[in-house]
Formats: sequence, C-alpha cells, structure tokens
Amino acid sequence: MVDLTELSAKHTSAEAASRVRKRNASQVRLKLTGLFAIGLAGLALVALLWTVVGSAMGTVTEHYVTISVPVPAEDFNPEGGELDSVTVGRAAQAAVRDRMRTIFDFADTRAEQRELADIVSSGAAFELADTILENPELVGQDVEFSLVASDVADLYYKGFYGRLTDVPTSTSVRVEIAEDSDEASIFLQQNVFREVVDAVKIELQRRADRARDAAQLQDNGVRAFERRLETASNEEERAEFQTEITSRTTERDRLIGIAEDLENQVQTAGTSDTLDNRMPSVLLKAGGGWIKLTQIQQQTAQGTVIEPLETAEFQAGEWQMLVNTTPEVSRKVSDFQTVILEDLADMDTVTSQFNWRFLSAGDSREPELAGIWGAAVGSFWTMIVTFLLAFPIGSLAAMYLEEFAPKNAITDFVEVNINNLAAVPSIVFGLLGLAVILPLMNALGNDDFRSAPLIGGTVLALMTLPTIIIASRAAIRAVPPSIRDAALGVGASKLQTSFHHVLPLAMPGILTGTIIGMAQALGETAPLLMIGMVAFIVDIPQGVTDSASVIPVQIFRWSDLPERAFSSRTSAAICVLLIFLVIMNALAVFLRKRFERRW
Amino acid sequence: MATKTAQNGKEDLDIKIRSRKVNVYYGDTHAIKDVDIDIEANTVTAFIGPSGCGKSTFLRCLNRMNDTIDVARVTGEILLDEHDIYARDVDPVQLRAQVGMVFQKPNPFPKSIYDNIAYGPRIHGLVANKSELDEIVESCLRRAALWDEVKDRLDEPGTSLSGGQQQRLCIGRAIATAPHVLLMDEPCSALDPIATAQIEELIDELRQDYSVVIVTHSMQQAGRVSQKTAFFHLGNLVEAGSTEKIFTSPEDERTQNYITGRIG
Repeated sequence: MVDLTELSAKHTSAEAASRVRKRNASQVRLKLTGLFAIGLAGLALVALLWTVVGSAMGTVTEHYVTISVPVPAEDFNPEGGELDSVTVGRAAQAAVRDRMRTIFDFADTRAEQRELADIVSSGAAFELADTILENPELVGQDVEFSLVASDVADLYYKGFYGRLTDVPTSTSVRVEIAEDSDEASIFLQQNVFREVVDAVKIELQRRADRARDAAQLQDNGVRAFERRLETASNEEERAEFQTEITSRTTERDRLIGIAEDLENQVQTAGTSDTLDNRMPSVLLKAGGGWIKLTQIQQQTAQGTVIEPLETAEFQAGEWQMLVNTTPEVSRKVSDFQTVILEDLADMDTVTSQFNWRFLSAGDSREPELAGIWGAAVGSFWTMIVTFLLAFPIGSLAAMYLEEFAPKNAITDFVEVNINNLAAVPSIVFGLLGLAVILPLMNALGNDDFRSAPLIGGTVLALMTLPTIIIASRAAIRAVPPSIRDAALGVGASKLQTSFHHVLPLAMPGILTGTIIGMAQALGETAPLLMIGMVAFIVDIPQGVTDSASVIPVQIFRWSDLPERAFSSRTSAAICVLLIFLVIMNALAVFLRKRFERRW
Repeated sequence: MATKTAQNGKEDLDIKIRSRKVNVYYGDTHAIKDVDIDIEANTVTAFIGPSGCGKSTFLRCLNRMNDTIDVARVTGEILLDEHDIYARDVDPVQLRAQVGMVFQKPNPFPKSIYDNIAYGPRIHGLVANKSELDEIVESCLRRAALWDEVKDRLDEPGTSLSGGQQQRLCIGRAIATAPHVLLMDEPCSALDPIATAQIEELIDELRQDYSVVIVTHSMQQAGRVSQKTAFFHLGNLVEAGSTEKIFTSPEDERTQNYITGRIG
C-alpha cells in the first residue's frame, strides 16, 4: 500500500526540481524547433518570391520605337477602292523595313541588315497594318507609329545585356578614317584605357589558365602512356603508345606555348592589346558616328567604323568612350545593334510602357508578342467546367455518404476508395481522360474536343472530387447532432433536415474544400498534357469547346523555350498564377470567416 | 389541442397516450422492458429515475425519435389518441409535428428568431400567407413567454439569446407546429435557477393546451411541475401515479429508496 501523504513529499524533492527543469527545457526545445522550422519555411518562401518576382520584373514594361513610317498609296492601295488586308500586310512589312534602312543607311552588308531587322518586332508591322486597315484615311500620309521593340532590343534597354558605361575622359581625341576601308585610327592626349586594360588582363589570364589546364591534361596522358609503354608486351603496342606519347607531347607543348604567350601578354598588357569579342566592347562615339575599338595602345587605338564619321579632332566633352563589360559573345545584341539602339534612344524615339500586352494577348512564338490572357481564359473555362461538375457531385456525394447511406461494408469500401483516390497521381487522371473521356465526348458531341476546356475541366473535376468529398464530409460531420434533432423534432423529414439545416451549416467548410480543390486543379499541368492542352494556341478561347491552354501549361511551355525574354515571361506567368491562387485561398478564408456560425 | 378541456376536473381527463408492452433494444442492450403507461391529456407527467434507467429512451419512443438511431428497435404498442404510432401507415415525420419535443440542451437553429418559430409551420404548410405566419410567430412567442423580450429583434439569430431564452424559443418552436403533446427531455438541466423557474412556470401554463411529458433528474422539479409521476429503474417502469402519492406514499421499495435518496 502506498501512503499518499508520503508521496506528497516528493513534490519538493530535488528529483522533482530536476524533472521540472527537464520539462521546461524540452518545452523550450520544442518552441525553438518550431520557430526554426517556421523561419526556414518563411525563408524558402521569400527566396521563391524573390527569384520569381525578380525575374518577372523584366516583363513589367515593354519598349516601343516611335518613328514616322511613310504609307504610300501605291504600295498600300495600288488598285484603289477598298483596302486589301494581304496587300496592306505585305506593304507594312516593307514600309517598316525600308524606313529602318533609310534611318540607318550605313547598314550595308546582309548581316547588318538582318541585325537591323531584329530591332523592332516582326509583330510591329502587323500592328501597323491593322491600324491602317482600321483607318484607311492614313494611306498616303506619313504615320507616326509606335513599333514594338523586339525581345532582344527590349532586354537591351532593360540592361539585361550589360550597360554601356561612359568612361569619363578629359582629353581631346583625333580620329582619322581610312579613305577606302572601315578602319579608323585614334590618337589621344592621355591614356584612357586603364580600366579596359584591367579587364583585358583578367580575360587573358583566364585564357592562359585554361591553356595550362588543358596542357596538364595532355601531360597526364603522356605519363599514362609512358607507364603503359614500360609494361607493353609486344612491338605493335609499343609503337602505338609511342605515337600517342609523341602527339600528346606536341599538343602539351603547344598549349604551354599558348599559355606562356598569353602570360606574356598579361605582363605587357597596356602597351598594345587586341580586343576580341570575348573582351569588353569599347565604343567611341563622336561626330555623329560610332567606332568599335579593336586594338588599343597607351595613347592610340585602332578600330572599325560602325556608323560613319569624318576625320576630325574632338575636344573633351565632344566625344565619349562607352564600355560594355559584357563581352559580345555573351549577349544577343551585337555591337552593331547596340549602336542602332543607342541612336534610337538618342533620337528620343524609345519609350517604355506598362506591358498590357502580356496581360491581354494570347501566346506567340515571339516573346515580345506573347501574353498570358489566352491561357488565363483557358484556365477560366476549365475551372468553370471543373466547378460545375465537382462542386454539386462532390457535396451531394458527401451529403449522401454522411447523412443517408447505411453504415455497412459497401460504404466503408467506398470511403476507403475515395480517400485513396485523393492520393492517385494526377497524370493517371490524364490517362483516363485520354482513354475514356475524350473519345466519349467526341462520340457524344460528334466533334474533336482535343485540347478543349470541356475535357480538361472534366479530368480536373475527377481529380478534385476526392478532395471536395473529404472536406465536405468533415464539414457535414462537424454540424452538431443537436441541430438535426431540432429539425427532426419539429417534424422535418430527413431530406429537409439535411438541406435546410445541415447543408447551410456545412457550406463554409464545403466551399473551403471546393476552393482548395479548385486551386489545386488550377495549378495542375500533368493531366492536361495528356489530353492535348499543351498545344500552341494563339487564339483566345471563346467557350468550353474551343482549343485552349491553361496558365500552368503555358508556364511549362515557356520555361522550355530558349529565348531569354521567355524566361522572364515564365516568371511573370508564375506570378499571375500565384496571384490567382492567393485570391482563391483568400476567398476560402473569407467564406469560412464570414459564414462560420457558432451554436 | 386536447380532446377535452379541463372543466370537468382532472380525474375525468382523457388518456392521450397509452403504451402497452413497449420494449426497446439498442443492438443487444434491452433498454426498456414491458412498459405500460397511460399519459393523460392536459396533464404534466414527469418521468423520474436514476441515470441510464431508460426514461429518455422511452420519451423518444413517443415521437419515434428512436427511428433515427440505426440500432434501436421498438416493440409493443404506443397509442396516441387510440391510434398506434408504430403502425405501418403512420409517417414518423407527420407524427413528430403532432408530438413536439424540447431537448436537454437548448438547440435553436442558427437562423433568426422569427425563422426558428416559422420553420415548422412553413414545412408543414400550416399557413397560407406571410401575415398568418407573423401571427403564429407572435402567438407562439407569447405562449413561450418570450415575446416581450424579443419582439424588437426577431431578425437576430436565435443563438444570440441567453440559455433560458433559447430554451423558451425551443418550446415556442415546438408548439408552432400545433402539436397535442409536448415531450421535454430534461429541459432545465443546462439552465440557471432563474431560467429554470421561468421554464417551470411556462410548463404549468402549457398544461392548459397540451399534454406535457417531462423527463427530469430533479425530484423537486417533478414535484413542482407535474401532476403525474412515473418512476423508471433499470428499464422498468416501477411505479406510476399522481405525483403526490409517489412522493408521499410510494408502493414500491425502489421508489421509496430513490425518493429518499438511497439510490440514484
């Protein structure tokens, strides 16, 4: 028998005190672990948002080049009378191209003309054509038109391809242009190339190191074959190894020679350096022309004329030395295009505007023309179908299972399967859609519904159903039985009790579950890939049977494209999707708070 | 309404509910054993007995609320105005409109006070238009002694009332379907003494128009409100009779022991 009065003494013992300390310590430990976990999750979230939003910033604005484009009647309306869209389209292409060539008449080679054509988007001419078709009175005039810049031009203006920095100089320069070539010689009063030389040194040293590494690899090869030579069994092998050793030694010595050469250049850098396309671009802007420097000495330099200028002496302030530290090979904008873009900016023709196009346009192969609206509308239609199918079916199924179904082995089996369905990978539902729903709908509708929101929505509804049923059942179960008793007590039937009292009370929970399920469906990609919603669709879908894409699939497709502007658009599309998800979840929280009742 | 008014004195009152050999089983548990009892019109009948004795179970048989429990099974005969309520042609839903019930915990619908009362008349089609419904709501709330307290806030949710008010609202809701019988399952157990007193006073008034059956744990309450008392013990109806007799000279020893507090 334990004496309780004796036991009470244990409360004040040292053992008890140590137990209290232990208990408190474990509580503190748990608290710290929890804080750490939350902090980690928060950090991950911030990192995610930071990268996505940071990358999406490139899509917030877009650049336009506003120039006056002649619209001659003989090109745009040779026949007279009504405008013909094909003729106008073709003429607009030519007009924009010719106008650019007139402004930048120094683009004389094919390569330069091609680069010039890449400055404004290919869509700009279509927009011009559309404007003219809408306003036929413009034919015969010079039209002041904002041409949307191409993706590379846009990214250049946003600084994604490095920025031209003005190296401050306080000296005069003499530029001599060769009579019969593009060569130019530059004579300076002071050495202004120190910073450039530093960058050159770093690049040369890097190349030297790379050559040394390569030489080391060859040397390893030489040693390996030397060892094999010692153990070689016959003459044939010996000869083979000997050849290998000879060739590798030659290669090694050649690489070492290159490395030494480069190291010498690093040593002597600043006396005379060649600037190639892996080194910073140094551009000289004077007298309305541009020269790209190819060779620099301390007070002289040689270069290629990009935009022509006359031989002359320029005082300090009359000329500029501009450096882009991003080498030409590492950017999609060539130095020639840089000159064009800078000239356009100097002419005050370049404006930056909020990128409504991204929010209002459909998909396009050209990143500057691509928008999310088509996918957003596709998502909208898909969600409509999903909601119309999943919400009534899900909530009514839950209602039946909770309130009406007898509790037996069959309902238990159904319940287990519903719970398991929630864990089925979504791509399986896509397969189901492809194998069953699509052919079924095609047969019923006597049409091809591939890529249609009707199919996508149905598949997503199937995927969402378990979530909705589980949430709805929990919500229905949470309605206190006293409410059911009350309703039955005044003579309400089972059906009346369920629909007049239980359902309204469970509705916040059901809606929360539905919205969460829908949010999950909104972000779903895999099943939609299976039923063909991954197609390239430019048009905005007008209904549930039109071909469509959805936002997550659009993100998936854009993320796969090599253009840099698409990677920024991918992030922007992710932001749009996140905004939708946040709105839906906020709605769920709002509904729960608004309609939550106490009893 | 009762079949006969109280003008002839209590002794001549009609038998409202007659139960014969009623047995209730919850699965394998035999909860009620061969209960025979007559419940008179315009009388308050109290069911007393220790916890788990089956008094609530028997009460729930009177409006077939046990039907909603899957494992419950009722045998025997319960006659309401001489009609068997367990007969095949009786619709339990219709029956519950005639036998109102008030539960242990106040359970108003989380709707407005007005809708709480109006719900029953609406689903049973007792009224033709809005003004009739308004009249019913007012008269039910008056009879439930709640009208003066809530007449200015009929739009407020029933759940915003105090516990005692909620229980009176539930009584008002129960009488709104024009029942003959009111079943009350420990209606005051969740209430404070003042609210309890109000409800008891109300029960006494309701006796004019309804047969009231009340399950209670409190013998004092049974003594205060009821004219007839039935004592249940372990599923058996031990003794039933006028309240005065049960409390002063019970015939059965078990009743005696319970009354005096020896079992309970």
